[in-house]
Parts: sequence; C-alpha cells; structure tokens
Amino acid sequence: MRTMLSLIDACSIAVKEAVRNGATDAEAYGVNSKESEVIIENNDLKQSKSHEIGNLGIRVLVGSSQGFSSVNVFEKEQIIQSVKLAIKLAKVSPPDNFNSIPHKTAKINLLTKIYDKEALGFELSDNVRMAKDMLLTARSYDNRVSIDSGNFTSALLTHMVLNSCGISVTENMSLFSWSLMGMAVTPDQVSNFDVQIGSSHCVKDIDVISTAKEFAKAVINYLGPRNVDSFRGEMILSASASTELVQEVIAHSINSNNVQKQASKFKEDINSSVSTDLLNLEDDATNVDALGASSFDREGVDHRRNVIIEKGILKGFIYDTYTANKDSVETTGNAGGSPKYPPMVSTTNMIVRAGNSKLETLISEIQKGVIINRFSGTVNPVDGDFSGVVKGGYYIKDGNIICPVKELMVAGNAFDALKNLTGVSKETKSLPDSILPYTRFSNISFTASER
Amino acid sequence: MQFKSMEMTRDEGPVFDELYSLISTISGAKYAETRYHCRIINEVIFSNGEIELIRNVSNSGCGIRVLVDGCWGFTSTSNISKDALKNALYEAMSIAKLLSGNKKKKVAGLAEVNQMAKGHLEARVNGNLKNIDIEQKIKITKDAEQAARNYSEKIKSASCIYREILDHKIIVNTDGAEVQLSDSKPEFNVTTIAAEGTETATISEGIGITGGWDDLFAKNDPLDYAISASEKAVKLLKANHVPGESTTIILDPGMVGMIAHEAIGHMVEADFVLSGSLVNDKIGQRIASDLVTLVDSGGSKTFPKGAGTIAVDDEGVRAENVIIIENGYLESFLHNRESAFIFDTKPAGNARAYEYDDDPLIRMRNTFLEPKRDTVDDMLKETKHGYLLKGARNGQADANGEFMFAFQEAYLIEKGEIKELMKGASVSGRAFDVLKSVDMVGKDFAYDMGTGYCGKIQPMKVDGGGPHIRCFATVGGLQ
Repeated sequence: MRTMLSLIDACSIAVKEAVRNGATDAEAYGVNSKESEVIIENNDLKQSKSHEIGNLGIRVLVGSSQGFSSVNVFEKEQIIQSVKLAIKLAKVSPPDNFNSIPHKTAKINLLTKIYDKEALGFELSDNVRMAKDMLLTARSYDNRVSIDSGNFTSALLTHMVLNSCGISVTENMSLFSWSLMGMAVTPDQVSNFDVQIGSSHCVKDIDVISTAKEFAKAVINYLGPRNVDSFRGEMILSASASTELVQEVIAHSINSNNVQKQASKFKEDINSSVSTDLLNLEDDATNVDALGASSFDREGVDHRRNVIIEKGILKGFIYDTYTANKDSVETTGNAGGSPKYPPMVSTTNMIVRAGNSKLETLISEIQKGVIINRFSGTVNPVDGDFSGVVKGGYYIKDGNIICPVKELMVAGNAFDALKNLTGVSKETKSLPDSILPYTRFSNISFTASER
Repeated sequence: MQFKSMEMTRDEGPVFDELYSLISTISGAKYAETRYHCRIINEVIFSNGEIELIRNVSNSGCGIRVLVDGCWGFTSTSNISKDALKNALYEAMSIAKLLSGNKKKKVAGLAEVNQMAKGHLEARVNGNLKNIDIEQKIKITKDAEQAARNYSEKIKSASCIYREILDHKIIVNTDGAEVQLSDSKPEFNVTTIAAEGTETATISEGIGITGGWDDLFAKNDPLDYAISASEKAVKLLKANHVPGESTTIILDPGMVGMIAHEAIGHMVEADFVLSGSLVNDKIGQRIASDLVTLVDSGGSKTFPKGAGTIAVDDEGVRAENVIIIENGYLESFLHNRESAFIFDTKPAGNARAYEYDDDPLIRMRNTFLEPKRDTVDDMLKETKHGYLLKGARNGQADANGEFMFAFQEAYLIEKGEIKELMKGASVSGRAFDVLKSVDMVGKDFAYDMGTGYCGKIQPMKVDGGGPHIRCFATVGGLQ
C-alpha cells in the first residue's frame, strides 16, 4: 500500500532525515499544485488537462559542502532515498564557506491578495467557458484571425520552506493565466504571429475578453506590411518587446551572482548613472498585480520591494543568502527557482515605473522610427549587443504611423540604448512577472533586406 | 540499429501490469493511452573555480490520455497505485466528456499504424552513464572550466556544465502498443567570457547526444571544448561588428540545423499547418533549390546519436524517417496520429511528450539536410563577397515564413578568401527565398544542436545539422 505524505510531512521528514543522516543543516522546499487547463488549437477547443503535482527540493550542507536532490513522489521511502542522494552529492562537492542556510528572523507578513477563496469554486466548466469566450471574441473580431494555440489555466498552489535553522513558512496562492497565439490569414498573405498573455490571482480580475480583442486587433493590423529602407532612428518598445530586448539584460546585470562572476556590465556601477533619468526600476514580489508575487523567497526569507534604478542611477543588486555572504551584505529576498533546483538569485516582479507621456505623444515626437511589439532575435546579456528581426512593427515618419513593416532587422546595444532612453509612457502593461510601460530609445540601427 | 531489444525486467513488471490492466478495463473511450515515465537528471556546473550546481532530480509518474466523444482528456499522477491510476483515468474521461459538448470539430479518427511498438527497446550506448561515478562527472566539469580560464588572462569568466537525462518509459494503449523504452541523453558545454577594456566576447562550445559517456567524448576530449571556446572568445575581442547587409553566406552544420529546424521544421508540423501555415497547400510544389533534401529522423542509421533520437514516440508509434523536402519539392508534413488521419497518411513517430505530466505534441526529432558533393574550400573560392557564419545560437520562425537565428562568429569573405573574423549577430530571411537560393551543398555532415532544447509549449530535446551550405540572406549587425 502506497501512502502519500502531506506537503508539511514531506518537508518535515526530509529535514529530519537529512540531519539524522549526517547533514550539518538542511532545507526542504515543497510545492503542491492542483491545475486545470483547457487547450485551444487550430481555432477550436482541443483538450482538457488536469493535474495534481507535488515536488520537493532537498538542500543539505555537510560542513560547507552542498548537495541537492529533488523528488516528486511524496512517499517516505522515496524521500529518504532522495535525502541520501543529496548527502552523497554534498560529500563529493568541494567545500565553500559561503554556503549557508538562512536562520529564522522576524515573522513574515503574508500577502493577502494572492489567494482568492472564490478560486476554490472555479471548476473545469469555468475554464471551458473562459477559453470559449476568448476564442469567440478573437474569431468574431475579424474572420481573418486564425488562432494557432492558446489556453486557459487555473491553479491552486501551496508552497513551503522548512529548514533546520528555524524557518517554517507556508502560503496558498490562486493563479489564473491565459494566452492566445496566432496570426491573420488571407488568401494571399499570412501576418506576423502575435502572442497575448493575461494573468490574475483573483477570479474578479480575469479578463479574457480584453486579451482576445488585443490579440485580434494586433494580427489584423499586421496585414499588408511593407519593406522600408535601412535607416538609423528611434524605436518604441512595447512591454513584450522590452522584456526580451532590455529587461533580460538588466535582470542579468543586477544579479549579484553574475556581478561576482565578472559577467555583469554593471559590476562597478553602483550609484552611477546607467540610463537617462527617465528610468525608475524596482524588483517587487510584494506587488500583487503581477504573478511573481509571493510572501517569501525560495529560502523562506521575506520578500520586499527592492529599488534597483532610480532616476537612471543604479542603487543596488539583488541577492540570495549565498551571494550576500560573499559580499558581506544582507540577502534581498531574491532566492528563486523551482523545487527541481537549489535556490539561486533571480528577479521576482520587474517593475518599471510609468512615465509622464502618453504613447501617442511619444509617437508624435518621432521623425523616423519603428514601434516594435515583438523582437525575434538574440541578446547578449553580458555585453548587451542585440540583433534580430522586428515583429509586429510599425514604421513612423514625421510623427505618424505609416505602415506595418516586414523583413526589417534591428541591431544595437542595450546598455547604449539605456543611455539613449528618450521617453517612458504613462500606459503600462502587466505581464506574468513584470509591469512595464512603452519605452522610446534614439539612435538605433535598422537594416532592410534587399529584395 | 540504434536500439537493442531487451527482456522485460522483473522490477518493471508490476508497473507494466498495472497499466495493462487499466487499459484492459476501459470502456466508453474510442482510444486510451497510459504512459509511465521516470526521468532522472544529474547535473554539475562549475563556474570560475567554484561548484555552482550539483543536483539529482527524480520525476516520475503516469500520464493518461483518452479520446471520448471526439475530444481529448489528459490527466497525470505521480501516484501509480491501482486506485490512483483508476481515479486519474476516470478524471481524464470526465473532462474529455465535459469539453466535448463545446468542441466544434470532433476528432474524426486516428491514423492506422501498421504495427504498434512492442517489447523493451534500449538505446545502444558506449559507456553506460549509470556506471560512471559522480566524482568523474565532477572532475571533467571542473577541469574543463579551469582549462578555459587558464587559456588566457583575458578570460574573465568561464563555466562548464555536464547534464545527463536518463529516461525510462512504459507505454500501453488500446491500439496495441505495449512497449518499454530506455535511453540516455548526456550533454557537455563550456561558456567563456573574454574581456579587454570595454570589449567583451562570449562563446559557448559543447555537444549533446543520445548515447553514453564514451559516445559523448568520442569526437573531442572535454578539454578541447574549453580551449576552443576560450581561443575563439579571445580572438573575437578585437573583431568588428558585421555590417547589416543582404549577401551571400556560407553556413556551418549547426546553422544549417537551425534553418532545417526553425525555418522549415516548425512550418511543416501538421498542427501548425492546420492553423494556416504558409506551406498548407504546397505539398508537391518546389519550395527550395534542387540541392535541398531535408529529413526529420527518429534515428538515422547514416547519422546516428543525434540528441533527438527516439525509438518509439509517445503514441507508441515506431520512429521512422520523414523526408520533408526531396530535391527541392515539399513531400511531407510531420504528424501525430490525429493529423495523419486528417491528411490521410501514416504517422512516423513525431508525437512527443517532455515529461510524464505532459501530453504528446507534434515535435521534431533530428532534422537535417542531406549532404551533397561540394567542399567548404569550393564554396569559399566561388564567393566574391560574403560571410562564413559559425556557431548557431538561438533561432525563431514566424507564421509568414520569416526566420531569424543568431551566430557566434562571422568570417568576412572577399574574392574567394577569408579576410577577417567578425563578431556574431543574427541572420534572417524568408524560408522559401533562402532555400531557393541554396547553390552549393557540402559533402560533410555534423549534428550541432544537441545541447539545446526546442520550446513549443513544452521543452524538448532535438538535434539538427547537415553539411556546410551556401545561400543568400540578410545579416543584421551594428552599422
């Protein structure tokens, strides 16, 4: 007879067994989630999915050597076997005096708006209704809209950190997320893809209709693109394009692990200007408007609002316990990762504060430029060089949007671009782990293809 | 034959029996499949002289998929007791029924398969990874990272990763599949960052395969990857950026793999074709130069060990070669059983699920261009102006056939000679235009995408490659 343990029992047994088997310290991070999903494919509902998933990550220290193992079957024997593996790995790992497991400090104040009791009554039939609404809204907007894929997912999640140094924290979350991906198709052309994503913690905030309309409008507007000549000018990045082109570079550069590995351009820039004074950026897991919100990090340390860039000045890096030990500072509560990985430094919700200009004003001030809604390319997070193709782009001349563009490449350097940030919009958009405005940059190189 | 037939082992018998018994009791479903999947991942990362990660992950459970009233239902459970499996099956049937009332186009049928897979198939390996001590895996990672840093004072940061994925699956379905599958997919990669003044350069070198320890390092010693990455990174410090232009390019096998995978492969996945892919009505039409023959293979005998190698897909269908383009003509799409039924063709093993809690999707395996007769020297000699592009990085394709992929190094070619090493950027074009422009295809061959993963809802191990080729596209650099 197989007996499955509760999350708290699984975490508790893992830590006790680790210490009993010779670990100096031990930590268990467990997640249980109950997920239900309706999948859209080829303009129709395709499939229903349902899962109950558990994962347990066990980190042990033997002296100052660390080992880690993860298991998804919450049976006592399997957990004990996993603990023994983690200890075996620790014993063959080189020692590192900066390894430590955090101790309990003050009591953590749990966020209240990431769990909605209404979610308990949200059934698969509700998921079906939402997916159907999204599909119908997009398709009825214009019969040229074609949906390749999409989904509506609801999940109830519990996560817990328990360690041998006194930390024992747990919380529940409700998560809803939905997406549409597709294009517009006519007898003689297929538009660029567009992807729209929505998310919320609360039932009342689910808004699939707006997402579907935005998606449909975008792909229809992408029809009839034209080639433009190569030029140097301005670019406006949407929230999605900004995530790929700029935010990932910033996230890499403020990560203390990369700073310590000499792999960050910002390594010597604390209290220096890294952008024009229009940029205000924070990492804030306590902001419940984005899905990266939670009360504590992967090590059980309380989350907080960390100001990263203020008026263009770099104010700080993000840390977990290990990298904080190396720099003799306090962790910023930025240990991230799933139970399949040991804790590692990561951003939570990246938030760029809204600016003072409307998007239409940012456009009207451009002599020659492009709005980029999606970027298909490569970005080197270390040196900031980017090169790729403009997707969902519109050519702007003398303050007016002229046409959608095709086969236009954009290349530049993200760090240089930050120094040429000329506008931040009032409008912002919430993505799953960020809230971002439109941002405008000058002196960007666009290369047209020769036909 | 890359897979050998094995006896069913005694300790796996109970799981097989549970799945078989579950499938036998099903009523009310047109089709049902149960897939037990146990995946073990071992990984070591060294970075700048310190161990950054050492982990073991065990993820196992059973995915159950049913077709009821023309609609799919999928559930998964990590609890493989008889009762838990029964409950999961009941749940899958319930949710399929619920969705069925709202689905417009019901699944009309699944393509017939000549013979569903049976027996126990295990990948042939040289140097079973289970027999290699963790200490040895740590040592090669540590030594390679150190060798990369020791190459030059200009190497400011280095990291080395060794990762192995050990899979064991049991698939039983109502159409006769009764198969156990075992394989291992190790990978090894070194990344170095060189810096001097304000200039930095990053290079990654590595390999990923389906096979064992000796297979992984059959071509190169681990330290070779480290030294090569550092050597290239240091050289790139003094390199200029590639200017933006549409020009002749020679692509190395990794870049050719990217074209095969990104520019064509995704476009011919039948689920995407049904949503309106550009190739929808182009079967039998010329879409590429007659030098182009493009194949997706579960395990080519000529080109074995690709990281995307599988014996059987997750619908229990034996993996066969699919000739997508033959001598320039579009011949075939990639199918699961549902899409093969719609297109009135046979599936060839392209339905793949990443882990037990993922449902099978249409995916590529090893996608490559067949070699022809040219040599790289010939290609260089016949190029007045252009670039030799090396070291594929990420790539993407769009619904309208536009693709882009990034490269690590470009060599400027002038009047048939290599003149200057230049920094990487990205290359883009329209798939059909670029494939029609292919005018030289090499006689060499290599896979070079084995350390990467394809992302299409779920990640997936795939591979890609081919010979060097010459074609025309837009290179986008800093002007």
